[in-house]
Amino acid sequence: MENAEKQKSEERVETPNLKGTLLSVLLLGVFIIVSWFGVFALFLSR
Amino acid sequence: MHLHKFEKVWLIFGTGSLLLFLLVIGVGAFYKGTHPSSHLETIDLKNIESHEAFQPDNLGVTQVKEDQYIVNFVASAFNYDFGVDDNGKPLKKIRIPKGSTVLFQATTKDVIHGYQVAGTNVNMMLEPGYISRYETVMDETGEFTIVCNEYCGLGHHQMFASVEVYE
Repeated sequence: MENAEKQKSEERVETPNLKGTLLSVLLLGVFIIVSWFGVFALFLSR
Repeated sequence: MHLHKFEKVWLIFGTGSLLLFLLVIGVGAFYKGTHPSSHLETIDLKNIESHEAFQPDNLGVTQVKEDQYIVNFVASAFNYDFGVDDNGKPLKKIRIPKGSTVLFQATTKDVIHGYQVAGTNVNMMLEPGYISRYETVMDETGEFTIVCNEYCGLGHHQMFASVEVYE
């Protein structure tokens, strides 16, 4: 029991901080989606 | 397998956008009937006139219904053959009334050519041995330049014509 908890807390400590990665991935994703819809809107309007 | 919470977020985000894009393409293809302009219909390259649409008399603008037109033409280095005008001169400017549905039907006599009506969605490749078609509604007035956008040889830059959409 004690061992399992110890392991758990160790895992938590090892969890990498991915905040910056999440932010950059989402920024890239939003950029792709916005440009895709931009081009699509151009196609529909012409 | 352990996934970080953030990894789940971007996996869902990525998969979601992929599904969204596929859905839009699927609706366009299967419901709206969008397809490539060269729809695998073949033609005898050595005898283009065997096809009714490309006989000299049928080239150029033909009115089918009140607001429906067909434009037949043959591309060759370095010219679009839209037939002749009333004076017997080669037609270089086609005229279409605003709001009409226009079906462009074309093929090429020699190499691959492009056909783009700049500023509209009309943009297709003309391939030797194939018939290309593109149907569109011309609902903006003005003069639009038609250009060849596939390099076809030394005179490529001289290969142009125009469409005038009038009220």
